[in-house]
This record gives sequence, structure tokens and C-alpha cells, in this order.
Amino acid sequence: MKKTLIKKGAEADIYLTNWNNEKAIYKKREPKEYRNLILDIKLRKHRTIREAGIMHDVKLFGIHAPLVYFVDTKKTSILMQYIEGNLVKDLPDRKLVKICKEIGRIVGRMHKSGVMHGDLTTSNFIIQKDIIFLIDFGLSSRTRKIEDHAIDLRLFKEVLNSAHTAIMEQGWTNFLQGYKSIVGVARKNQVFSYVSIIEQRGRYATVV
Amino acid sequence: MLGLGIESTAHTFSCAVIEKKGTRSKILSDVRSIYQPPDGQGIHPREASRHHVKNAAIVLSECLQKAKVKVNDLDIISYAAGPGLGPCLRVGAVVARSLAFYYNIPIYPVNHAVGHIELGKMLTGAKKPLLLLVSGGHTMLLVFSLGKWRVFGETLDITIGQLLDQFGRFAGFASPCGKRIEELASKSCNYIALPYVVNGNDVSFSGLLSAAKLEISKGLEDVCFSLQETAFAMIGEATERALAFTREKELLVVGGVASNKRLAEILTSVCKRQDCKFFVCPGYYAGDCGSQISLTGLLESSVKNGVKIEDTFVKQSWRVDSVEIAY
Repeated sequence: MKKTLIKKGAEADIYLTNWNNEKAIYKKREPKEYRNLILDIKLRKHRTIREAGIMHDVKLFGIHAPLVYFVDTKKTSILMQYIEGNLVKDLPDRKLVKICKEIGRIVGRMHKSGVMHGDLTTSNFIIQKDIIFLIDFGLSSRTRKIEDHAIDLRLFKEVLNSAHTAIMEQGWTNFLQGYKSIVGVARKNQVFSYVSIIEQRGRYATVV
Repeated sequence: MLGLGIESTAHTFSCAVIEKKGTRSKILSDVRSIYQPPDGQGIHPREASRHHVKNAAIVLSECLQKAKVKVNDLDIISYAAGPGLGPCLRVGAVVARSLAFYYNIPIYPVNHAVGHIELGKMLTGAKKPLLLLVSGGHTMLLVFSLGKWRVFGETLDITIGQLLDQFGRFAGFASPCGKRIEELASKSCNYIALPYVVNGNDVSFSGLLSAAKLEISKGLEDVCFSLQETAFAMIGEATERALAFTREKELLVVGGVASNKRLAEILTSVCKRQDCKFFVCPGYYAGDCGSQISLTGLLESSVKNGVKIEDTFVKQSWRVDSVEIAY
């Protein structure tokens, strides 16, 4: 299999390759020399299995995600569909603000179906024409707990704040609007108030 | 310009004098006295503040002597106004106020975490780093954007320093316990599985602490080793995620835990993978010290005037991401 490295992610190396004459992505979790071997193998294996499983599941809820072609638990690699498009992270601010609403809807749909993503950053959304794909389910899990869903929201807020500072406020408002439209006001309020609880747990967040 | 910095946020009372000429700064002296709680116990805020009161004058005069300056020569005085332990913070603030008022010298309240960052930048020469602040009070990944340090990831409960200290105290070590744990860990390579929690760029250590305490009977060296391996791998992963996302080309590590060799090893490897330069604050200046405060005060004085005595304050909870940085 011929493959070209296109990104060295934090967790895995991403290669562009071919599968049945289609462009495909080969995602391989390489051993991390800095991590203890036992811990390393455990993490890589768990995450590969979970990622493939949940990436498949979310499509049943109407979320666009890459198709899974092949999973190798020994090599801890996944062969999946290549998604053409731009990272939401790289969009101009004006567009990003708008898209936050649709992202909110996608996240709402995912949560409503009992999945948390675990790494909800703007670099994990790909926009293809007017379809938004969600990728990278390595830290995802099946959960309906308010706290877990709040962790997703908080991370997205944190990323807006640190990487898209200028549009943070409007982007976040739009996100919540989109989220609310799917999960309903009551659930949105529950999750949202838990976000504040997590934030207050942050070091030196509450004034004494 | 000559600046005196006073640090008293936790167990360390320290004074330092820095001379700043244009963009170059030089540490003329940095004197510390560290409160030592009994073995197996943590910092008692009242006892620590008593230690500071007792030692303040000694540290201050030694610091001025070593720098060969008189109080009258000082252009500004800065003190760590937070975050930290209230009783301890007040000691530093009182010393700073007294000097500033009596000698009529401009006074600057400084954020302790910003102090760590600025001194780390000065000593390592890092220009625009992704910042990892690891200490007893903080575990944070920060990026500078639009006039503030923005939190990219942080601990959702206790800090790495608290994890090490609380585990160490449970095992009966003297605080701070990082060194001892590092020593014991280096004697083992037998990994005991412990909970590993990374949520995106955030980490959580409380479950790890409880689990490590429960495993202690399996052998102290093995548990120390496993605790370090797990906790530092978590920090390594969170850092790598932040580097991959921000595409920053520099990583700077500051704070007391920055002096841990194993952590440095892990982060070096992370940086190699992400093609990024690695900077670590030199050991002696990684922990709390007056130089951090003095330098930050001098930087602030380049863009604003000192505050009025009646407006000086201490703030136990003063988040680094709420500080406006104009210089």
C-alpha cells in the first residue's frame, strides 16, 4: 500500500492512500517512545477500537463522519474514507461564527444519541461544500451523563477562547443556539449550567 | 532601572533585585527562605506566614547587600499579589507597602503565574512559546493571544504538584515531595496500571491520586514510578495535542515541577515528534522566587505607572488568564 504522510497528529500519524481506487486515510497510532510500554499499548488499542466503533455508530444518528474501511487492532490502525474539504479551524472568522450554529446542532445530535466526542476542537470538523464532517473519535465514549456532555461543551468553549479569541462570544452564542435546537431548552440548560460548575472547579476560578 | 521583587505566595519568602537596561535584564541577587513543614504534613498557611514574618527582614537585607544596592537606589518595588495563600501573600504585600510608602518608590502588584512565565522567557530566550506551567498551584497550557495568556488546557481538579505532594505526604515524605518521588521512581521500571484521564487538552489527577494511594502496599518504588509515568504521560499527551493544534514552534515549561528530569525527557520527545523547540526554565529559577516578581514588575513599569498605596491588594484567587498584558 502506497501512502504519504499528511499530518503528524498528537495521537496518530495520518497518511493519504488509496483503497479500491478511492482516496483513503490511513490513521496509525504509532508507539510513543516516551510513554510506558504497557500503558502505551493499552491506550492505543482501546482508542483504535473505540474510534472505529463510534465513528460507525454516529452515522446512524445522521452525523457525517468518514466511512470505516478496515481496522487493525494489532497495528492499531484504521483505514477510512478520505474527506475532501477545509478544516473549520482555518476558516475566516466571519464564516466560522456562522458555522458554530451548525456545529452546535451536530454536537446536539451526537449527545442526544448518547455519544460524547472528547476532543471537540475546531480542527476536528471538516467542511465540504455545505456539509460538515466530524472526525477523530479517539477520545469519544458512549455516555448520556450531563457531566460528560458538559466536558465536550467546555472544551469547545476553551478552544474558541484560546484559538479564535476575536469571535469567541458570538461563536459560543451561536453554538449554544444550535445545540439547544436539537436537545431542547431543558437539557441545554442542564448541560450549560454544568459547564459553569466545571469552570468554577478550575484553579483560582472562584474569588475568595 | 532597578527593581525589587517580593515573593511570598506559598512556602517561599524571597526577595530579588533585577537591573533592566532596555530589553536586557540581569538578576543582581535572589535570596530565599523556605518554610519547611514537618514530614508528612503540608503547608500550614498560618505557620508559613509566621515563617515569612520572621525571615522577611533577613532575606530583604541580604538581597540588597548581595546586589550592592540601597533601598533608595530602587526605581520600583513589586510584590506577588496572588494567586496564593492569604496569610502568606499579606506578608509580602506589607513589606512592599512599607518600603514603597516610606521611601516613596512606585509599587506594582504582580500576578505570580505571569512571573513564572516572564522569567522563564527571559532565561531561555523563548520568543512566542506554547507555555506549560506545572507547579503546586498550577497545571496549565497557555497561549498568548490578543493581550492575554489564554488557557488552552488545564487540570480539571488538583494540580500536578498537589498530586505529587499529597501522595508523598501520604507516604510520609517531607514536602515538597517531588524530588523524593523522582528518586524512588528511578529505581523501578515495574508499571502498575493507574487511571489515565485526558479530556481533549485537559487532564484530571484526582482519580490517579486515590488509586496510587491504594496501591502503595505493592511497593513504594513501583508506585512512585507508575505515578510519574502515568501523570507525565498525561501531561505529555495534552501538550502534544496543544502543539499539534496551535502549530506553535516553541514549548516553554515553567514552575516547580519543570525541574523533574523524567518530565523533561517526555516533553523533549513530544517536541521532537512535533518538530518544535523545547525550552525549560533552569532548575534554580523554576520554583517560586523574587526574580519572577521583580522582572514582571519592571516589564509592567514600561507601560504603566505604579498603583497608589491604598489601591494595592492581595488576591488569593487571581487567574492568569484575567491579567491584561500591555508590554
